[in-house]
Amino acid sequence: MSASELPTQPAADVRPGRAWRPFALTAPALILLVAVIGYPLFTIVLRSLSEPEWGVQNYVWFFGAPINLTVLQRTFTISAWVTIVCVICAYPYAYLMTAVGPRVRLVLVLCVLIPFWVSGVVRTLSWVILLQDSGVINSLLRLAGFDGIRLIRTQTGVVIGMAQVLLPFMILPLYSVMKGIDLRLMRAAQSLGARPSRAFFTVYLPLSLPGVYAGAIIVFILALGFYITPALLGGPRSTMLSTLVQTQVLSLLQWGRGGAMGVVLLVTTFVLLALAAPVMRSRYREAGRR
Amino acid sequence: MFKSRFAGLGAILALGVVAGAAFAQEKPVAGEVKEGSLKGKTLTFVSYGGIYQDGQAAALKEFVDKSGVKLLNDGPTEIAKLQAQVESGNVTWDVVDTDDLPPYVYCGKLFQKLDLTKLDVSKIPEGQVGECSVPAMNYGVVLMYNKEKYKDNPPKSWADFFDTAKFPGVRGIDGSGSPTGGLLEQAFKVAGGDPKAMTVADIDKAIDVVRKLGPDTIFWKTGAESQQLAESGEADMLMMWTGRAMTAVKNGAKYAPAWQDWLVVMDQMTIPVGVKDTDASYALLNAYLGKQSQEILAEKTSYTPINGDAQPKVDASVAAFLTNTPDRQKQGYKQNFKFWVPNFAVAQEKWSALMAGN
Repeated sequence: MSASELPTQPAADVRPGRAWRPFALTAPALILLVAVIGYPLFTIVLRSLSEPEWGVQNYVWFFGAPINLTVLQRTFTISAWVTIVCVICAYPYAYLMTAVGPRVRLVLVLCVLIPFWVSGVVRTLSWVILLQDSGVINSLLRLAGFDGIRLIRTQTGVVIGMAQVLLPFMILPLYSVMKGIDLRLMRAAQSLGARPSRAFFTVYLPLSLPGVYAGAIIVFILALGFYITPALLGGPRSTMLSTLVQTQVLSLLQWGRGGAMGVVLLVTTFVLLALAAPVMRSRYREAGRR
Repeated sequence: MFKSRFAGLGAILALGVVAGAAFAQEKPVAGEVKEGSLKGKTLTFVSYGGIYQDGQAAALKEFVDKSGVKLLNDGPTEIAKLQAQVESGNVTWDVVDTDDLPPYVYCGKLFQKLDLTKLDVSKIPEGQVGECSVPAMNYGVVLMYNKEKYKDNPPKSWADFFDTAKFPGVRGIDGSGSPTGGLLEQAFKVAGGDPKAMTVADIDKAIDVVRKLGPDTIFWKTGAESQQLAESGEADMLMMWTGRAMTAVKNGAKYAPAWQDWLVVMDQMTIPVGVKDTDASYALLNAYLGKQSQEILAEKTSYTPINGDAQPKVDASVAAFLTNTPDRQKQGYKQNFKFWVPNFAVAQEKWSALMAGN
């Protein structure tokens, strides 16, 4: 297609030989991605296959040690729980953000963003103070006459801490989708005789699902790689894969094994996402049709 | 140790014949720095940060002022990072403070074999100079117990620590990464073994003893966490670093040490393979080993100095946890280095599995 055929288009945009221009604008991002993600990732894969010698010995080792499989499975379980908790907490919150006036919304946004600006380590340490056996929550429980419960060094504690750290990643995509949903659709449904709950489940929920999926994927993937929070809030039974990678690389200098663990985690994640993708896509289409 | 000292002696004799009196002036004295000797040079010193590295920097201030060197502080020490530097042939860390074992495990590979004619190691406690390292300071791993919990019947040894029937309560163990050889040896003793004749298979037996402490056992990840466990009273018996134990008690933790068989540990000072100016690194080490430097280090950090002449001015609470008094020296337990160095990887693997809940 030449410029002369499309006289209404600004000529500079489509003149042959200048088509690279839009790509030139993405060059910084591309270079950055290749340099800080692509190349290191390539090195990790390479080293997992070449250290201490060429072959798949690191992968054989990974699948041969039961502890690795236990921890891999646990990593996915914890991440799934974190995602579920985040969805449950974030959904009503994001909805509220769309329903209130601008001033209250600003307060709600700040409540999400301010903890986001505080370092994850600091937030995790605050959770230590809250969750520990002699901590705030247990002291209150005892004051109220209940027995204390063990929260710190349990999976529950890790899930609570991680969900709090990751909550903004769920709320923000949800909010951006929800604010685009026309609330008059709900009124229309109700005017046609639907009860509010029916209107919500058949109209609002499907329209908001893209936000849920987007948030859930971000949270789930970020959760898989968590290190500090499970290390500080968890015990042996909530150790995640990142901790094992750290031991292999930093204590044992087994870069190959550490790399293999990273690759296994990455591939497993891809497989899970590939399995989830068709479901999400069909839901997307459905949502679009309605 | 004996071998290296003997080699040093041989070198002194040999050189003495050739150089005569001139050599006597060249023989290094710990803490002595030649005026302006490193002007225009830069050294990067790597350690673990925090109050510890601040104290080390203070201990090296005189060295910096006198020699004219520019000293950069970096950290924290990570052997993997050092390995990457050595492998790429671009070593930017000139002197590195490490844990107890790495200089032995990677001696000659990542750390230079030390030329003891360039260092004065005469004031260092017996048996602490390695082929690739000199100690950076001494400290201990000590059994701390809750005084209010055990009252008149306190635990006295690691055997009591591992005996949950006689001494019920929550235990806290160093879960910061690598296994502590000394603790595993004590555990092996509880299982009826002889630590001096330990084999690789025995590591499992020792770890089983630790595992039997039960699911309530806390594996603390950082020194600060161990201190916090004592101050909040969450653990009844804790395996603690002496510096942290001291601070916890100072902050009001109602804990007391059981010194019997406290585990002798130290940080090591090393020179990586491939540094640009080896002699400058030696000069820093030699200054660091000096009496005055070690006094400053002990006063700033409360760790035990490794120069026998050092007499740091510390208050009673700090002095109570210094490990170089004759009494403490008698009670200390030294891990079986010869066993742990070649079996470091196996032990780490098994320990990591325990840490990950297996």
